[in-house]
Amino acid sequence: MRRRLRTAAVAAMLAGASAAVLPDAALAHGLVGRQDLPIPRWLFAWAAAVVLVISFVALAVLWPRPRLEHVRERRVLRVPAALEALCGVLGIAGFAAVVYSGFAGTQTATANLAPTVIFVMFWVGLPFATAVLGDVFAAFNPWRAVARGAAWVAGRVAPGRLPEPMPYPSWLGRWPAALGILAFAWVELVYVNRDDPSILAGLALAYAIVQLIGMSVYGIDTWTRRADAFAVYFGLFARLAPLHWRDRTLYRRPPLGGAPQLDVVPGTVAMLCVMIGTTSFDGFSQGALWTGTNGIAPTLQQRFLNLGFSQETALQITFTLGLVFMVGVVAGVYRLGIAGMGSIGGEQQADLARRFVHSLIPIALAYVVAHYFSLLAYQGQAMASLASDPLGDGSDLFGTASATIDYNVISATGVWYVQVAALVLGHAAGLTLAHDRALVVYRRVLDATRSQYWMLAVMVGFTSLGLWLLSASAQ
Amino acid sequence: MPRMSLPEYPSPGGGAPGRGTSRAARVGFILGGLAVLLIAFVILRGGDDSGDPSSSSSVQTTAAPQASTGVATQEAQSTGANGDRGAAETGSTSTSARPAPPTEPAPRLVRVVDGQPQGGIKTFSYKKGDQVLLTVESDTADEIHVHGYDLKRNVTAGGSVQFSFKATIEGRFEIELEDAGVQIAMLEVTPS
Repeated sequence: MRRRLRTAAVAAMLAGASAAVLPDAALAHGLVGRQDLPIPRWLFAWAAAVVLVISFVALAVLWPRPRLEHVRERRVLRVPAALEALCGVLGIAGFAAVVYSGFAGTQTATANLAPTVIFVMFWVGLPFATAVLGDVFAAFNPWRAVARGAAWVAGRVAPGRLPEPMPYPSWLGRWPAALGILAFAWVELVYVNRDDPSILAGLALAYAIVQLIGMSVYGIDTWTRRADAFAVYFGLFARLAPLHWRDRTLYRRPPLGGAPQLDVVPGTVAMLCVMIGTTSFDGFSQGALWTGTNGIAPTLQQRFLNLGFSQETALQITFTLGLVFMVGVVAGVYRLGIAGMGSIGGEQQADLARRFVHSLIPIALAYVVAHYFSLLAYQGQAMASLASDPLGDGSDLFGTASATIDYNVISATGVWYVQVAALVLGHAAGLTLAHDRALVVYRRVLDATRSQYWMLAVMVGFTSLGLWLLSASAQ
Repeated sequence: MPRMSLPEYPSPGGGAPGRGTSRAARVGFILGGLAVLLIAFVILRGGDDSGDPSSSSSVQTTAAPQASTGVATQEAQSTGANGDRGAAETGSTSTSARPAPPTEPAPRLVRVVDGQPQGGIKTFSYKKGDQVLLTVESDTADEIHVHGYDLKRNVTAGGSVQFSFKATIEGRFEIELEDAGVQIAMLEVTPS
């Protein structure tokens, strides 16, 4: 990407033209060998119909008493402490391998282990795994493992002499996590050097150091629950999972059952709006409306070029604005729905916004699945060759270095169905959670139902946006 | 874990379900909804082939550094696997695609001038199973890389190179000047 930009800049100078010679900024990143086809019009229409039918059927048939607010968890098994320690060690080893590959390996993005692990396995693969298996990241979280190891050693060496952690400011809530995810999305979607393995490794290391400092000041568990962006991010998805890990014990519960237990501290609404908004921007930024010949991005970029910014800077400012704008759109849609609900009376709007925010978790997951399923299905296969040759220096550790990506493992039609199914299921799950909460917030079922017309409008809005981003009109 | 305080549930009698939906009525609603969707799926899927946007245009331009000095006459023609495809041309969402003159199937051509694709990055559309015929003329020496299919050919300065392969993988794929890292075209293969 950077080379591409440089080349474009040189070409622009050579041409001596005042007209913009804009680099192609359409690609998510250089890892993507195959991009998705837009969903066909008939499927778009059908999915929209499904969404509407589901919504109205849901209004008619959903239960009149809350069912998900206090689900019963059943104990499945208990794991030994040694396994917990082993997972931590594996997490640290994996993190070290990625950082080392990034620094020491080839700087060609597709031939280096680091970019694929970070952008595909970690950022996309983990949410998929988490939604099914529960919060697996908590077990392998490398910086948390380092901190716990250090705390354990310190407890042995100098028992009772460790200072108490400082109290975590309650107003801070999940704001650090929301900003952290926004920063990661910026690196992934805006930063021109996003694919540079050594820069990625440096950023990963810097992130880990910040987390270690945070944990040492505010305590490991408090910091991880509130401010570690990735722990919070995966932890939110884990609330949808039918499996729940707590204190080395595995419980099972109905799917979605963890979401109503969400402790809605400040920054939680922002966190979910960032999650949905950044994924939306990933789709939007690949569309013709954004990158087309007379699209928004080239126009804006030209404005910034005229202000005297360099080609790269102008591009990044443009994309940053787009990213923030999309997050704002998502927050605005949610706020509108909440304002409508507030008109029914009884609750402050800020309270309502917090009370219903857990119903956005399935929407966020649906967006991730719809946008990144194919990346995981195709680029995920590159792990076979990258694991054997992480540095791209021709080594063959496991004999799989020559493995290639089979792009026919799932057809374009199959990808479409997965994308649409994800959005529709996320929509249904979001509606269910909102309905359940409404029965608690509003004492009269009639009020609860009326309030849900507004939530329904919000959900239909998000799902339609998701579908539109997949469709030809956006691409 | 601190929990947010919630009001008590409505008492069993209090917020009595005003809607007297019986179990049978609920099942009826769900089955009715499913039936409607199933019928819609069958009808839409079978009846909207020409509306499929992926087959609506054979060449689209997404970004045009040198505006419309293209070579559209050679490019705008789709390979003739489906004779009816020209009828869908009007559905194009393209910004600068030109109408296709109904000539015999011609190889698609990309001309690289000063390391940039002339006329912007065009999208070449094929159905799965079609034969792709693609020529790249370049005034700079580089390697042409068709992503996904992972085909690579060297081109000399002022020379041209031809790709001929069967479209076996669905999706959109970048065609790139590998060393310069510049995308010069997009290959699009839609389900047949």
